[in-house]
Amino acid sequence: MKEIISRAMGRKQRALSEYDSKSLIHSAGVSTVREKLARSREEALLFAKEFGYPVVLKGCSDRLLHKTEKGMVKLNLGSAEAVGAAWDDITGKDDIGLDGVLVQEQVRGDREFVMGLIRDPQFGPCVMFGLGGIFTEVLKDASFRVAPLSEFDAEEMLEEISARDMLDEFRGSPAVDRDQLVKALVGLGDLAMQYPDIAEIDINPVIVAGNKPVAVDALVVLNS
Amino acid sequence: METFFNPSSVAVIGASNTFLNLAATICNLLKHNNYHGRVYAVNRKGEAVHGCPGYTSVLDIPDTVDLAVILLSAQHVPQIVRDCGEKGIKNIIIESAGFSEAGGDGHRLQAEMEGYLTRYGMRLLGPNCLGTLNTHNGFCCFYGFIPEKYGEGFVAPGTISYIIQSGGIGVLVLDSFTRDVCKVNKMVSIGNKSDIDEADLIEYFDSDNTEVIGMYLENVRNGSKLMDAAMKTRKPILAFKVGRTSEGSKAAMSHTAGMANNDVIFESACRQAGIIRLKSISELHSMPKIFTTMPLLRGNRIAVVTNSGAFGGIAADLLVEAGLEMAVLSEETQAKLAKTGQLFNAKNPVDLGPAMAKQMFLDIFEILLSADEVDGLLPVPNVWQDVVLEAIIELVKMCRHYEKPAALYIPNAIEKILHIRSKYQIPVFESPEEATRALAVSHQQHNYLLKKERHAYERNNIKGNGKEAESAVGV
Repeated sequence: MKEIISRAMGRKQRALSEYDSKSLIHSAGVSTVREKLARSREEALLFAKEFGYPVVLKGCSDRLLHKTEKGMVKLNLGSAEAVGAAWDDITGKDDIGLDGVLVQEQVRGDREFVMGLIRDPQFGPCVMFGLGGIFTEVLKDASFRVAPLSEFDAEEMLEEISARDMLDEFRGSPAVDRDQLVKALVGLGDLAMQYPDIAEIDINPVIVAGNKPVAVDALVVLNS
Repeated sequence: METFFNPSSVAVIGASNTFLNLAATICNLLKHNNYHGRVYAVNRKGEAVHGCPGYTSVLDIPDTVDLAVILLSAQHVPQIVRDCGEKGIKNIIIESAGFSEAGGDGHRLQAEMEGYLTRYGMRLLGPNCLGTLNTHNGFCCFYGFIPEKYGEGFVAPGTISYIIQSGGIGVLVLDSFTRDVCKVNKMVSIGNKSDIDEADLIEYFDSDNTEVIGMYLENVRNGSKLMDAAMKTRKPILAFKVGRTSEGSKAAMSHTAGMANNDVIFESACRQAGIIRLKSISELHSMPKIFTTMPLLRGNRIAVVTNSGAFGGIAADLLVEAGLEMAVLSEETQAKLAKTGQLFNAKNPVDLGPAMAKQMFLDIFEILLSADEVDGLLPVPNVWQDVVLEAIIELVKMCRHYEKPAALYIPNAIEKILHIRSKYQIPVFESPEEATRALAVSHQQHNYLLKKERHAYERNNIKGNGKEAESAVGV
């Protein structure tokens, strides 16, 4: 993981690509969506078949911001034809030189959360947990703790959001695996302590599939 | 740190007989308070000020000096600090403003002054502050402090210590305490905190006779140092911080940064480190008494006792809003209550109606305090007869016996409340909101102590000493 960061710093990247971001948070204990970086159309088709349909395709580069707005995210691809067409469309729009195209399992779940990390000028690295989904920034339902976090701190964070009831059994879905969330939050705090070059992390959304929280998208911002 | 509050000898640099000289007010106050230490004035003419011998330089003082208090325009300060260093003074308070906070030339003066501090190994309080106040020995270097107006604080020394970033807040607390059961122990104005900050002072107040630490903060300099100091003390820390508005970095790339702001992070850090965040500035002086006069609230189930039905309902609403619960009284407790006399209601809220017998009040207090399903009381007795007053005096003793707190509010005019509180030294709150809030912060402190104990336990275990971890904080 050290190499990912030092290589990116060496190239003066402002951020890590989605693929590298997820590798990094995965190493810290955050469960992430199953994905592979395809560098050819054939690979994309092969990975999709391996994961089973439906899948998601996303353009992948550290310079790719606002990928949804740029049409670089294709959800719910149910067949080889759809994957092939998505590949063609994404690579056809590529004007920055993508690292490749991410092929991901399509994760399904009604509940979405967010996790993140910021550095406060007075308190240093702080870990965030909150309600995800399209209203995240409107509701601002989030809790913070200063890193490093104890497991107890992380447990308190889960209890502090207004939407905490969504962590329990909810509309026919089982209670969320809290241990997984605690492990992820503690891990993010430790990551910040270990790598001062990490400025911010955004993990949005974390979709709860069954009872398992899975990070579907992630962005690691580096110090410039 | 003790020297800042109890110097054997102090030089007040800048004190002269010039009209409206601020430093001279310090000499005046120390003389008025018969301060036990030796006080010297330093000014251009070397003249004595309010009976304090005067010199033109600290270097001329024929005595060792523990503490220098400097109140001169900023441009002269670095040279004076150097003189203090040469004199062997290790503790300095700079009350003058005009350093890095002023920008421009202030940065140069700040750097020059800090250079001397490092060279001579001196500790600095300030700049841009009022310094310290200690009610137990009469030491005070708050300039402009008029003995005739605020001297009362020194007559009745107390156990509440304050770390403040504004003199006005200090005056508010001292004023408010004149008719309260709590009194000030020490007060320190930290100003720009170039060296000594709130964390150093929490550590110091953890080791002296302080019972409760109050803080008024405008900014935090070193967050993790503050959190470490807070985690290590079991004394309640009550903090009011200004700047609740967002200053989140709007240009940040991540959504997380957009959700965070200075105030949200401070709030989280308080919860994490066991600091009680106050909601209003008046809580800085109204809340300490729940800690000094009452046991901590160990659970959240509260019994309300009143002789006015209206206040039963009002109190019930407030308790729930504060995150506490109305205790559900058992059949057994209700039966005991019913036997005490003509109760209007033996369920919670317990309504005595126009009860006249002191013993009836006492019996009810005792039944509720000894009930397993009750963790604390919110008594709201209208003091319309002397027996009610006699009963609540006894209640304070009972609470200590049963190790459960009561937050008293008496629905009477504020003048009567203040009179009863100061004359009989009963911890009465000034509104039902305030009393409820006191129970909430008491319970919060109880939970914080549990957290600190767990934290200390985990830390000892991580060290892997194998032994049963000794808890740093007992509950």
